[in-house]
Amino acid sequence: MSGLRKNFFIKARDFIHAGEASIRIQHLLKTMQYDPRLVRRIAVCSYEGEMNVVMHGGDGNLHMELDRDVLQLDINDEGPGIPDIELAMRPGYSTASDEQREMGFGAGMGLPNMKKNADDMTIESQPGKGTRVRMRFFLNEGG
Amino acid sequence: MVGVRHSTHFVRFQEERCTGCAACLRICPTKAIRIRHQKSIRIVDQCIGCGACIRACPAGAVSAATIGLEGIGGDQVAIALVSPVLYAQFPGVMPGGVLLGLHRLGFQHTVDMSFFLEMFQYAAEEFIRRNRRSPVSPWPLISPICPVVVRLIAFQFPSLLPHVLPVLRPVALMAREVKKQIIPAHTSQGRSVGLYFINPCPTKAEVRSDRLGAAPEPHEAAIGINDLFSELKRQVDQVLDSDMIPFSGSGYEFETCSSGNAALGAMSGGEIANMDIEKSLSVHGLQETIAYLHKIEMGLLKDFEYIEFRTCREGCLGGVLTAVDPYIAKRNVQKMVGVFGLGRRLPRDTILRLYEKGQFQPDQDPRMLTRLFGACKPAMSLDEARRVEAVLNDIEGRDCGACGSPDCRTFAEDVVGGNAALTDCIWLHARKQKKKPARFDLSTDDGRGEES
Repeated sequence: MSGLRKNFFIKARDFIHAGEASIRIQHLLKTMQYDPRLVRRIAVCSYEGEMNVVMHGGDGNLHMELDRDVLQLDINDEGPGIPDIELAMRPGYSTASDEQREMGFGAGMGLPNMKKNADDMTIESQPGKGTRVRMRFFLNEGG
Repeated sequence: MVGVRHSTHFVRFQEERCTGCAACLRICPTKAIRIRHQKSIRIVDQCIGCGACIRACPAGAVSAATIGLEGIGGDQVAIALVSPVLYAQFPGVMPGGVLLGLHRLGFQHTVDMSFFLEMFQYAAEEFIRRNRRSPVSPWPLISPICPVVVRLIAFQFPSLLPHVLPVLRPVALMAREVKKQIIPAHTSQGRSVGLYFINPCPTKAEVRSDRLGAAPEPHEAAIGINDLFSELKRQVDQVLDSDMIPFSGSGYEFETCSSGNAALGAMSGGEIANMDIEKSLSVHGLQETIAYLHKIEMGLLKDFEYIEFRTCREGCLGGVLTAVDPYIAKRNVQKMVGVFGLGRRLPRDTILRLYEKGQFQPDQDPRMLTRLFGACKPAMSLDEARRVEAVLNDIEGRDCGACGSPDCRTFAEDVVGGNAALTDCIWLHARKQKKKPARFDLSTDDGRGEES
């Protein structure tokens, strides 16, 4: 149990504070001076994950676990769930409202971006109950 | 204390004037300031020269590391390198009048930024055009003009260094041309030459030839606009009173200014306004710049090709070393643009030929800046990171800054790094005072409610 654990609450539709958990995680990783490219990948994933909760997920939380060689992000929400995960993973597929699109979100790239930038990603979802996304990053593989 | 010392790098802290009020403490974007023994001191390696502390200090204890007008003249040939912000300080006066005023102050040559800004703009457009066809840099590209932005990126957003447009900055192009064309004519006759950058901000003393981290050479110095404003104003008024034609008697074309484009360059948005890039954006202000850099780091704003950042409000017109209110200066710029129009004077073909020859490539990889700005603090280990979180949970502070660190997290980092004592926290102290007479166990009240 030598890891560092942090939990961040994510509030639904709170676009003003969206991204704060991501910035806090970036700050931590920068002070630990991890490779900037790795920090960037983690920043993209945590931000996209956070935004998904803000936009679709109802309230949720982001749980970070940092160990010597792996960083794990668990993003859980109590939202409507994803009926067809394969479809949701398709670049450009989006269920965002017109209003959210007008705000510049909902391009349908969130999940594909997370998949691309994480070393390992799993999604579990139950319609009506919520979604759990787990992403892992291996810290000692250089970028 | 390790890594903490006084310096004349970008700004000076005058201890005898400092009241320890902490106004500068929290405003510093890189958290480079601490209060120790009721005086503010700075972690030099972390200073990016934004000048926020100069602006914030009510006691006038912080000043820019620029020089005054003393020492200009004499045997030395003094060359003034003029930021277009200077013209905006004189309502109703055309650049020629301001440059003539500089001549009367003792500068033999005045070199204007306008040609070099145009060159930069052509080169930037060309780079972006080619980057569309065969991408070598990631979108959005970030303007390299504001040196504070480049240092901020090197220090806090190193993953964004590849976004910095790899084109020589106008001030570097200017210094290079002066060294090639003007200086040899004087040194060959045994005269010593001094290069003086007339600047709106404390950073540009050492930015010539784009070596942002190097120590200034003895014959180069920066003069703040506010250092010479009243003297220059007197000279300019005399020029206007005497009905002289404001002709600065230049031998080189780039010694004068007749370009609205250059004047506009002093303003936020002025760099991109006249550039042929559809998807560009201008952002000004320190907090706004930091917020946007966070966005880019998190993968947003990819649809933009070029972003002009200026850490000063309203752009360079809002520089901390200016003399005139930025909004008044802005109006002056707009009037100048009305007189001169926005056309460029340099032929594009010529500049593109120079571009092909690699004349605009920076002589240094921007990534070397991380070495200058990133390496000052040792990396925190996982164990130390955990201890920082534990200290944060213990103190349950309110970012009050009374301990002398800018916020609780930085304080916790200082404590774990051995650069501050836990007993400096007044919240912890107050809670201990309360606990003593109570005589019952408060160990459940250990503040681990949030974020454990």
